[in-house]
Amino acid sequence: MTSLGRRQAELVAALTAGAAVPPGFDGRLVEAARVALLRKRAGEVARQWPELAAAFGRGWPRRWSAWAAARPTRGSLRDGWDLARDLRAAGELPAAASAELAAREALMSYDGSSAPRNRRAPAVRGAAGSLVVQFAGRVRVLRRPAAGPHR
Amino acid sequence: MTTSYGVGIGWRPEIAGFVAELPGLRFAEVVAESVHAHGDLPPGLAELIERGVAVVPHGVKLSLGGAEPVEPARVAHLAAVARRVAAPLVSEHIAFVRAGGVEAGHLLPVPRSREAVDAVVANVRRTQAELDVPIALEPIAALFDWPDDELDEGAFLTEILERTDALLLLDVANVYANARNRGTEPVALFDRLPLERVAYVHVAGGAEHDGIYHDTHTDAVPQPVLDLVTALCERHRPPALMLERDGDYPAAPELRGELDAIAAASGYPAVT
Amino acid sequence: MNLAAQGDTWGITGPSFLILYIVTVVAVAILAAIHRRILFAGDSGAHVERLDPQQVAYLNGGDRLAVYAALGGLRGAEAIDSNPGKTLRQAGPLPAGATALDSAIYNAAGRGIRARDVIGDEWVVAALRQLREALEAQRLAVPPARAKVARLWALAGAALVLLGVARLVDGLQNDKPVLFLIGAIVLAVILSISMLRRSRRRATRVADKGMTALRRKHEYLSPRMSPSYATYGATGAGMGIALFGAASLYTMDPAFASEAEIQRINSSAGAGGSSSSCGGGSSDGGGSSCGGGGSSCGGGGGCGGGGCGG
Repeated sequence: MTSLGRRQAELVAALTAGAAVPPGFDGRLVEAARVALLRKRAGEVARQWPELAAAFGRGWPRRWSAWAAARPTRGSLRDGWDLARDLRAAGELPAAASAELAAREALMSYDGSSAPRNRRAPAVRGAAGSLVVQFAGRVRVLRRPAAGPHR
Repeated sequence: MTTSYGVGIGWRPEIAGFVAELPGLRFAEVVAESVHAHGDLPPGLAELIERGVAVVPHGVKLSLGGAEPVEPARVAHLAAVARRVAAPLVSEHIAFVRAGGVEAGHLLPVPRSREAVDAVVANVRRTQAELDVPIALEPIAALFDWPDDELDEGAFLTEILERTDALLLLDVANVYANARNRGTEPVALFDRLPLERVAYVHVAGGAEHDGIYHDTHTDAVPQPVLDLVTALCERHRPPALMLERDGDYPAAPELRGELDAIAAASGYPAVT
Repeated sequence: MNLAAQGDTWGITGPSFLILYIVTVVAVAILAAIHRRILFAGDSGAHVERLDPQQVAYLNGGDRLAVYAALGGLRGAEAIDSNPGKTLRQAGPLPAGATALDSAIYNAAGRGIRARDVIGDEWVVAALRQLREALEAQRLAVPPARAKVARLWALAGAALVLLGVARLVDGLQNDKPVLFLIGAIVLAVILSISMLRRSRRRATRVADKGMTALRRKHEYLSPRMSPSYATYGATGAGMGIALFGAASLYTMDPAFASEAEIQRINSSAGAGGSSSSCGGGSSDGGGSSCGGGGSSCGGGGGCGGGGCGG
């Protein structure tokens, strides 16, 4: 890697992966950029995963930043997906977001390490009291869960 | 670009219906990565092209400022989209978005060093080799500078533009943001740039947090930026100026008001 | 019980009964289809483009979608909002140009009605009936009486099914081969069910064609474009719901939609999906089809916060 490349990599690591700010940079400004970047990503993930973001209401940016601070982006679709799966594994995924995740998982297959692909075969997924059936790209949600108390 | 297009807008799917109904529109920009090279165009974009609106693909992911050579697939995509929408030119940024295999998810500034100039020039030339139309380069707004900048911004940009013979996409909101955050005079940069190379201009809004002005593209265009538009047009009126908004879109009358304000500031006719 | 008979069941041979049966079933289905075509044709002079969102919603999804379109319009105009108890409340004045349905829902919200009970409120019911009758008068909506007439064919189909079953039973008791007869009965059942389902039609054929054109004209309101409802206004919100289903209300205001227990009907491609058209591209997709950018596919990967690259 050239010296330019190495130094660019150090900067990216500081902004996205929680690495130290490279020497010579104004730490306050780099931090402002890091926070702005997380805020921007929060907005983009909220557009791809509206129920997930809405379930946290005003606390969404903070919740997102806490999880994403050391995780560089893989695209907002994957970012939200990874977060939703982690929350589900920890039992912290709110019900409405759970239905949203189930619907996506019925529609597309995602192995966690490469780009999600549309499923060609029908699929059924269940989550938190709802059942999602996917056939030919159309999704039907049966038995929706009760909406959470979050606003 | 010898044709004059006047006031334009950044086409976004969220406001596609609004853009479709602008009667005087003759110029629009679309994010290159959101257009498929083959297959259907996003709904509404095809109608714009049929109407004779010039559509310019704006790349955001090529990372021309990166140390690594730009990926051929991305260049090919940009060229294909340009052909697909019959664009008069394309644009990209003087910035990098990935390094060391990690995506930054954001446009980051390159150091203003000779090494960086060479890297940018090399990547721009690789891109130009695949394009049938000219490319315009956009300098970005950066919250911070590299510690060992050798050139000032005017000299840095001018050298890149002259060595590549590329056009300039002047984002006056970026100029304003950079100057405001560093306590310098924004207009000073205009006199250090080859304004005859300006292909078109971005006009956008921002907001201040904690004493730092962020070029958010999700806020209304502030009056100082409009004043800069006027100052630019006094020196050299660009062929086109466009409202660049990426989110939090306001009600239609407010958007029309912003377009009219840009028209008034630049002396071009209103497109609403 | 019966003695084992030597002759044919009912005096008709198996093959000839089968042929007669199948011919009758198919004839009934064809006649039903022709009759439906006439019944549901609609008036070619009627224009869908001049309808307001709630009328379009009724044609697309019945009373429920009409109510949702009104809710979306009222929410977009900030006239109503939801309360944590899944009830509605008034949040602002009734907008100018409100329809009878809007007023009915707005007043019901003033009484703190539960969102899911709105459709049963007596003023809302009256407004919906008014809406439906106006559409029927314009020959855009199918009056229930006509749908009932169309259903009679399904009754005929059911009678044929019973006939077939009667013969089946008799045939079994007489040890006759019944395999083909079972196949014919299955055919009759399928066709009867189909006739029943197709007679449940709300919009005339003219209206349907108009709807397709309207959907194409308002493609920008489709959820996969993530439309900015603030830009398109309350009418845009209502029309989006009317044309593209309740999913639009979820895209517009997910908190309100869940609190109001809006059922997702007429939804395609999943929750909040703008991803389907893009193969779910994420940012490292090279340059080929969806040049990368789950966020930019669907636009606005553009610039924000001091720079771009999303």
